[in-house]
Amino acid sequence: MSAANAAPITATDSLTQALKANIIPNQEYLLQGSVLDSAVEVLLHRLRGLCDNVDAGPETFDDQEVCFSLRDPNQQAAPLMLRVRKALDARDMPFQLRYIGQPDLGDKNRPTVVRSSLDIACSGMLIEFLNELGCRIEFEYSVKGYMFRKGRMKITVAKVFKISQSAMPPEPISQSYLVELSVLAPTGQDAIAEDMRAFADQLRPLVQLDKIDYKRLGHMPS
Amino acid sequence: MNPSINVEQLNSALTSLRTLRSSVSQVFEALSNGLRADHGEDGKEKFLLELQELLNNVNINLRDLEQTTNGLPIPTGSFNLGNTTYLSQETTQDRQALYTQLVNSYKWTDKVHEYSSFAHSILSQNSLRRSYANSGSTKRRGKLQSNHNVPPGQVDNVINTIDRSYTDMKITISRPYASNAVVQISLGHVLKAVVAFKGLLMEWVMVKGYGETLDLWNESRHNVFRKVTENAHAAMLHFYSPTLPELAVRSFMTWLHSYVNLFSEACKRCGCHLHHTSLLPPAWRDFRTLEPFHDECKQ
Amino acid sequence: MGVTVLQQFPVPENKTGTYVIEMLSKRILALGATQQGQFLVDCESYLSHPQMGTTKTVHILHNSEQPASVFSILESGNKNIHVIADGLFDLFMIKLSQHYTSKKQTKIESKGPRFELGDFCIKLGSVTMNQSFKGILIEVEYRPCVTANAVWGLLREFLQGLLGSSTVIQPPQHLKNRMSEIYTPIDTVHQYLELFSAYRKTTALRVQ
Repeated sequence: MSAANAAPITATDSLTQALKANIIPNQEYLLQGSVLDSAVEVLLHRLRGLCDNVDAGPETFDDQEVCFSLRDPNQQAAPLMLRVRKALDARDMPFQLRYIGQPDLGDKNRPTVVRSSLDIACSGMLIEFLNELGCRIEFEYSVKGYMFRKGRMKITVAKVFKISQSAMPPEPISQSYLVELSVLAPTGQDAIAEDMRAFADQLRPLVQLDKIDYKRLGHMPS
Repeated sequence: MNPSINVEQLNSALTSLRTLRSSVSQVFEALSNGLRADHGEDGKEKFLLELQELLNNVNINLRDLEQTTNGLPIPTGSFNLGNTTYLSQETTQDRQALYTQLVNSYKWTDKVHEYSSFAHSILSQNSLRRSYANSGSTKRRGKLQSNHNVPPGQVDNVINTIDRSYTDMKITISRPYASNAVVQISLGHVLKAVVAFKGLLMEWVMVKGYGETLDLWNESRHNVFRKVTENAHAAMLHFYSPTLPELAVRSFMTWLHSYVNLFSEACKRCGCHLHHTSLLPPAWRDFRTLEPFHDECKQ
Repeated sequence: MGVTVLQQFPVPENKTGTYVIEMLSKRILALGATQQGQFLVDCESYLSHPQMGTTKTVHILHNSEQPASVFSILESGNKNIHVIADGLFDLFMIKLSQHYTSKKQTKIESKGPRFELGDFCIKLGSVTMNQSFKGILIEVEYRPCVTANAVWGLLREFLQGLLGSSTVIQPPQHLKNRMSEIYTPIDTVHQYLELFSAYRKTTALRVQ
């Protein structure tokens, strides 16, 4: 009787417990590459053979992503990057708010990019909320393609489009598809990076998945 | 033009074929067993005698078979095998899954037969009938006929007319169970109901709250809507009329529509929203005046 | 989620908070309710950095009735924008610590027993801020109904029966403008925020 009537655990307590137990996925391991439009069918076939979730054809998605930045009031640290993604093909789904940190430079021999990332599902007036919070819109784009899953790994093959203001169909920004292989995991599970590298090798020579050094791409927001 | 097939002749031919096959298999069995203990000392000779006898049997059976098949008429043209032609298309028995399917459908029909006989014996004990089914006797032709067995189109018309007459009550019709309608009603933001029909006869009502998922079989989570479902069944039986089924449906819908003020009107008798013991709002609506009463307050 | 109403219950001069909760619990149990565990609603506020212009406050609330959600209400001038997110939103606020600092001393919560009585759900909460007792909040939810204007008379009758006819029952400020809309959990959270903000400005009362 007393156990059922015990005080409920506060949210901060359960969060600290989860952090201590290292079960919160707050790091992203990432590999990226690209494949030309003409070669994408072959890549999709190979992925269908390798991946898990393809019983009824590959899963498609159609999302719009808006990137915000929040400047530091003291002008000391780099601005905070936030992304909001909403599904255009499933309007009832919540928004996804993503905080992405700077990539961990550390070890040059690491097979993948490692950066801290938080994925939060939100509903309500998220865009107005972020605007009032002090964030500015940096850019936005829409992305449409296929999503595959293998174990914990998520592979997306998608085309990035510019947002069109008028009723015209959106215009792609390049003649190729962006391929991304990512895993969200708690800190310290570096073995998954090796598995990702092994999987990426299976997709050669169709697509080369590598770590992209964002600093070398110029000072564009990643 | 096929000569008429004589089933008996065919049967005897098939029997003689079977006896021939069994005698041949006996020959092979004897050969494979070889010399046995009960052949005794002159084993070989006895064995050979046995073998000869078996072979003679085979000869006799073969002659019988020839005789019977000679008497059979030769069919001209091809047989109409019907659906059994498809049996030859897949030769591997395992891949056909025919046996398991046959067994399952036999079990199913058997169960249906058993359950319907139980249901019949139980339901026939209930003397309260709502439909006048002639029990086979032709003398009762003058008795009242219940005319709620109408085509689906007419049912749709009746329900759509009711839908149009109330702005805050939305009615949709679906037919998941063959030709009988299942009607979903959504009354403002107060409640949702689903009514199962048989022709124009209402058979089952389930009332649930606005936020709940609606289906025919699961009861509402809230006590007040369970009470309203009970009252709706009472209303359904009260308004039943075998000769004027449309009027019955219309009266029931009017009665159900009066629940739009379920939470906002107090009971006409005691003047309170909540009854002091059951803590339920007035879940009863008088059949004539449509006034709200608590279940315990109704006269 | 049914329509929910929050009411403050005044603590008499010579009595303590625990006494009042016990008295109300006995009353509710005498009506036939069963206790179903405890509940907790807490609120933590973050203020924006002065260098970011006009001061804005982000209130983060948790309600044990919706354990997987975090409610966040941003107050800026007279605008109130709300976002409902999942549990990781707390970590996100920690990442924003450069821009929005938490005022730990104003962390306020309402905690207490939870009863179920027919289609009603009643929660008796003692409001505490930093270990100091502030008052008693009673939350009553009528689960079957989702629009406030349809059920207001019924709720008022129930509350008056529960709290005695001396207390005046008023519809909460937040609900006054949205009586005919479908009630959602964020409306309960708004009501808690209103009352918590009022409590923050008052001085502490005696507990024991």
